[in-house]
Amino acid sequence: MSASRLFAEVTVPFFAVTLCLAPAVTRPTLPFGVRVPPERASATVIRHERRIYYVRTAAIGACCIVLAVLLQGYGSWWLTRIILLLEVAADLGCYWLARRKITAVKTAEDWYAGHRQIVATDTSWRTDPPRFPVRWLIPALIVIAVTIIVGALRYPDLPARLALTGRGGRRVPRSVVTAFAVVAVQVYVTALWTGMMLLVYRSRPDIEAADPAASTRRYRRFLAACTRAVLTLLALVNLSMLLVALRNWQVYRLTGAASALPVLPFVVGLLVLAAVSFRVGQGGSRLPGGAGGHGAAAGTDRDDDRFWKAGLIYVNRDDPALLVGSRFGVGWTFNLANPTAWLVIAAIVAVPAGLTAISVTVGL
Amino acid sequence: MLLSVEPDGPVPIYQQIRDRIVEAIAGGRQPAGSGLPSTRQLAVDLGVNFHTVNKGYDLLRQEGLLRIGRKSGAVVQRDAGSGPPRPDWAQDWAARLQTLLAEAAAQGLPAEDIMRYCCEAIAAFAFPEGQP
Repeated sequence: MSASRLFAEVTVPFFAVTLCLAPAVTRPTLPFGVRVPPERASATVIRHERRIYYVRTAAIGACCIVLAVLLQGYGSWWLTRIILLLEVAADLGCYWLARRKITAVKTAEDWYAGHRQIVATDTSWRTDPPRFPVRWLIPALIVIAVTIIVGALRYPDLPARLALTGRGGRRVPRSVVTAFAVVAVQVYVTALWTGMMLLVYRSRPDIEAADPAASTRRYRRFLAACTRAVLTLLALVNLSMLLVALRNWQVYRLTGAASALPVLPFVVGLLVLAAVSFRVGQGGSRLPGGAGGHGAAAGTDRDDDRFWKAGLIYVNRDDPALLVGSRFGVGWTFNLANPTAWLVIAAIVAVPAGLTAISVTVGL
Repeated sequence: MLLSVEPDGPVPIYQQIRDRIVEAIAGGRQPAGSGLPSTRQLAVDLGVNFHTVNKGYDLLRQEGLLRIGRKSGAVVQRDAGSGPPRPDWAQDWAARLQTLLAEAAAQGLPAEDIMRYCCEAIAAFAFPEGQP
């Protein structure tokens, strides 16, 4: 089994499990992307829809995994991608159905009647901001440095034509660009994820109106844990690419099942990130030290469903925020009404497109 | 300092921001010399327009409660321990208080209840040591 093959095999079960369990890590007051008052968080319709979602997505996941295993070895590697696409689309369909049902009951029973809807913040988030854990970035940078040093040492002894991973054994002429392409990818991925996490540190914390002080403390712990998990994943992704590079540079040769070795660090990193996400929950909602403590609640979180398209995409012209906490699963999402969001997305797409264009121009 | 606004409420958001900060200063949660987020940061955190926060901060600056520097950011300039205010300020304030108390009297709230509300509010303020 090759590295890309193993990666393809792992993605279908990985998405099956993460999408199925996503409602467990989202905030209790945001079931399926619908904002509900805290006292309605365990309403009958929500418990019912959550149960149905678990059953449906578990069934979809099981079917897709069986299909992927049965089709293994047949046709092209695109087959697994098509199965993955269908799996994600079907799971999102289940999410949409649950969201529609809950919204219907919420509207019919007017859950927000008589609530004072507020937006709360803790100014200490800005006057005493959390520090980005720079030290956790060091392993990822060390791996890049090792890749460059080993590459520089191996380069004079490389043959005139290189067999690169993922090119079906086709050989390309040896050049600095072909030999060090993997370093460019490492630098890009590291810069992208570090940049995104730095933007997250500047963005607004998810603070609950019911208990702003405790939810700010939980959010601080959540952000620290997620950033460390992302930077650990980053180091392991770079390690995977180092292993690919070493094979390209003929430092080692693996056959059979062992040739999947380079992808293993990446898979471990994904599992670490998933485990941390499950432990802390979105915005720290699964962390202890919460509800009902500091001061009387001045109101309920404002019902902002109208700014969330399909419960997944945030579009709010009146909000200057660039990133906000996502409503499904753990993470952040862009405010697509903010022009800067489109600039950042364009930059994320433009850099790899530019690198690819350069590699095509030089005949890679 | 915890700050909350009611975006769909009857009071303009910039006024709510100004009022909450004044209350925090009086309550000792935001003493003189302490910093506040920049206008852009607070706008992001409350999900409101940058100009709205700017307007709220500007009111506080005009009242002498806030100093906004290019480098130092927004810093609270006075609090309950900063000495007596300007005499003309007290006159303006007394006029506004007159209206506020008149509202209660006009609605039929007894004098002792009005006094009780006033005492409760004053009890929550952080006056310096030695003041009644």
